[in-house]
Amino acid sequence: MALIELKSVTKIYPLGNQEVVAVDDFSLSIEAGEFSVFAGPSGSGKTTLLNMIGCLDQPTRGEIWLEGQEIGHADQKMLSELRLRNIGFIFQSYNLIPVLTAAENAEFTLMLQRVDKRERRERVTDLFSLLGLDGLENRKPSDLSGGQQQRVAIARAMASEPTVVLADEPTASLDSHASEELLALMQRLNQEQGATFIFSSHDPLVISHGKRVVRLHDGHLESDQ
Amino acid sequence: MELFNLAWKNLWRSRRRTLITLAALSFSLMLIQAFHNLSYGVYSAMIDSGVRAGTGHLVVFRQDYLKTRDEKLSFNPHDLAGEIGQIDGVEAVLPRLYLPGLAQSSRESRGILLTGVVPAVERQVNPFLRGLPDDQWLTSLEGREAILGHLLLKELQLKKGNKFVVTLQHRSGELVSEMFRVHGVIKTGIKSVDKRLLMVGHNRAAAMVGNPDDIHELAIVLEDQDLNYLVLPQLQELLKPHSTLEGMSWERAMPNLYNAIRLDYASQKFIFVIMMLIVTIGVINTLLMSVMERFREFGIILAVGASTARLRILVFIEALLLGLVSMVIGSSLGSLATWYLQVVGIDMRNFISETLEFGGVVFDPIMRAGWDLPWMGKISVYLLILSLLAAVYPAVKAGRISPAAAIRHH
Repeated sequence: MALIELKSVTKIYPLGNQEVVAVDDFSLSIEAGEFSVFAGPSGSGKTTLLNMIGCLDQPTRGEIWLEGQEIGHADQKMLSELRLRNIGFIFQSYNLIPVLTAAENAEFTLMLQRVDKRERRERVTDLFSLLGLDGLENRKPSDLSGGQQQRVAIARAMASEPTVVLADEPTASLDSHASEELLALMQRLNQEQGATFIFSSHDPLVISHGKRVVRLHDGHLESDQ
Repeated sequence: MELFNLAWKNLWRSRRRTLITLAALSFSLMLIQAFHNLSYGVYSAMIDSGVRAGTGHLVVFRQDYLKTRDEKLSFNPHDLAGEIGQIDGVEAVLPRLYLPGLAQSSRESRGILLTGVVPAVERQVNPFLRGLPDDQWLTSLEGREAILGHLLLKELQLKKGNKFVVTLQHRSGELVSEMFRVHGVIKTGIKSVDKRLLMVGHNRAAAMVGNPDDIHELAIVLEDQDLNYLVLPQLQELLKPHSTLEGMSWERAMPNLYNAIRLDYASQKFIFVIMMLIVTIGVINTLLMSVMERFREFGIILAVGASTARLRILVFIEALLLGLVSMVIGSSLGSLATWYLQVVGIDMRNFISETLEFGGVVFDPIMRAGWDLPWMGKISVYLLILSLLAAVYPAVKAGRISPAAAIRHH
């Protein structure tokens, strides 16, 4: 059984009096441990797909299955529970909580899961060490570089050991050197910890790191390699 | 606990806005507490003065006497005064007889209220007698010495030591007259009292109407006015065998004073409510601004797995913390202001040249606050509840955020 399965998924957004079809009759299977990239130009539907897989949005038509559970039509309570337990998010502009320290940001999902404080700190310390963030635990996001902030975001996404990590244009705000480093790190996490990563990007660097590249165009599947 | 930590940090994102809101909340609480305590102190002093000179905290009348003031509705207290005096919390029991009549000097005549008192007890309790020298006070229950209100003395054109005649109706219907001598003069500050007051020993007054043992009022002064509600049931129990008598509290016996205080306090409460409403709008504004500014961040919090309920709780905790800090600061400032108003007070003599009468009681020109701690606690809790109520709309708004839309938001 595939980890994620999309069956004839369509997403239509209302735009004034008109409707915009962001994703049209899209089907795809993703296995556990994959390192996949949704590639395509702006407006191709990659972020919409990522949001639907990540339980942030729901399809207008079709089904989405995550670990054998249909999530395309789940209620809000279940969606937030799925986001908490099964999904890790990495965003384009890091999106750390500015008033919390780097460690507190990384612990945030664990805090929501009511994990014991000591265990939280242990897990985050290990992750910080793995991500090269030693010594930065008590820094506020504003005191960190873009690359460091994105690594803290990765730590936050990974800390709760989710089923799948979704990264929406994770390198868009980074220079090429920091992007390269970050992708190498995520590849390492994928190989060492078996975490499933799905990226959305039009950055050739990210696409080149993908083991599987799903190309989209105007909401349709263009190619799957 | 972590949510409290996050809420606390969130509050200080916009330090200036939070400080302004805290200052508004705390300052309002301080003002409300200080002004209430000032009124509480002034009202307490007025009630104390009013009940000691008037009906007491509790009073016993013949039924209907309060309504009709018919001097025929007198009663013989027998041992009642002694029995009431045994109740815990009772400071003094004052038997009084009130007889309307006419006072005549060689030049003038005036309508008076002849008040028969027990001098030894009255002297200790009645605040009108505070300024009266001991040698001018009544020496016996039967004597012909009389204490006059200063305006009555003036109108009758009498001086200390002068004789005058009092005429009133005997219970048989006949008019009786007796001669008295001016022994002392008092100035209560209440014109109606100063024009009509004529105080003599009880037995002398009672003998004039042919009811030597009767009184019209048994005024009961308590050690503390808050004991009213404890002593009244005991008094009523004691009065059960006396079916023609009724016991009541000062609020019923002195409706003028009670209603004047109620009316005055009602207008103050209205101002308090307006102040609280203004402050609540300020809190709503602060919290709403804070929620709108964090629209995207709330989307992220939802995206990483927080439920909308948790997000709403976060907003409520922010309001709770705002309310709690204001409670502490406001109550501290309110206590400080109350302490100052109690020790120093507000001297109204600079503004008012004459004595002020309020609800039939003389208003002390130096207004001093009193401590109403339960009320201070209550109003602090109200402020906290208002802060939480102010968070309802921002919290609902936060809970409606769609994470996908919020993340796209810039």
